[in-house]
Amino acid sequence: MLSNATTLILFITKIFAIVGAVLYFIFGLIVVKQVGMMTRSVNDKFNGILTVFSYLHLAFCLFLILMTIVVL
Amino acid sequence: MTRSKDLDAVAPDDPVINPSTPTPPPPSVDSNSADSTDPLRQKAYDLMGHAKHSLSALLVNPKVFNFEEKDHDEEILVVLRPHWFTNVRWLLITFFMLFAPLLIRVVPLLSFFPARYQFVMIIFWYILTFAFAFESFLSWYFDVFIITNERVIDIDFENLLNKKFSEAGLDKIQDTSTRVAGLAQTMFNFGDVLIQTAAEIPEITFEKVPNPEKIIKIIQELTEDKH
Repeated sequence: MLSNATTLILFITKIFAIVGAVLYFIFGLIVVKQVGMMTRSVNDKFNGILTVFSYLHLAFCLFLILMTIVVL
Repeated sequence: MTRSKDLDAVAPDDPVINPSTPTPPPPSVDSNSADSTDPLRQKAYDLMGHAKHSLSALLVNPKVFNFEEKDHDEEILVVLRPHWFTNVRWLLITFFMLFAPLLIRVVPLLSFFPARYQFVMIIFWYILTFAFAFESFLSWYFDVFIITNERVIDIDFENLLNKKFSEAGLDKIQDTSTRVAGLAQTMFNFGDVLIQTAAEIPEITFEKVPNPEKIIKIIQELTEDKH
């Protein structure tokens, strides 16, 4: 009985984690768009590095989705 | 062998020497060669000094800087960002966020969940920490105030995907003032520069910029040149 409840809670947690990771991935896309808009508006030395960081963050978001599906 | 004097008959690589029109001297490569904005650039250097690095809150005559709305013949004289002290708050928050997962060992909040769940949660926490620090840095880095030889400009990104661009011609500036409030601003010499204009936007504020009194001085010098 207790193990069933625990399994159910973990399953619900996994569902929430996957949904949260997908929503966070959408946020990562918005960040990439935001950095693109900013670097177009103000052109400076570090624009390239910031663009790379935004894509790196997006890659982390995708990695998070995979982690929640595979590991949990 | 006589050469043809007809230029059309001259081979492309034949030298054509005409003593009546001497070859002009090559242009000087001196970086201080005179143009109309050099006195303004020199004034900016004299008043503001030189920036030490590209992440400085004060850039004078930056070599690598541009903005979308810049005119073709417009020269950027000074670029300002909020003083570095304004970043201390989010830097401290980021620092504590980095060490927050260690508290789990002291206060077992996630002990109910298996190890793999805790691992994924910690990974998510650090990605969130990176996003918070990155967004905070972007918010500071792209909040710029620009003084050119024609106008003053305030570019602000208020939130995600929301850009605000304010400008006023130097000939429209009517009054300038500064506001330095609080212990931190007094200690580190930064504050607000308020620019009253006769333009559509009645007031432009450069917020929390370093050396506000020098900014006022450079704007006054530029407006005197315009009037």
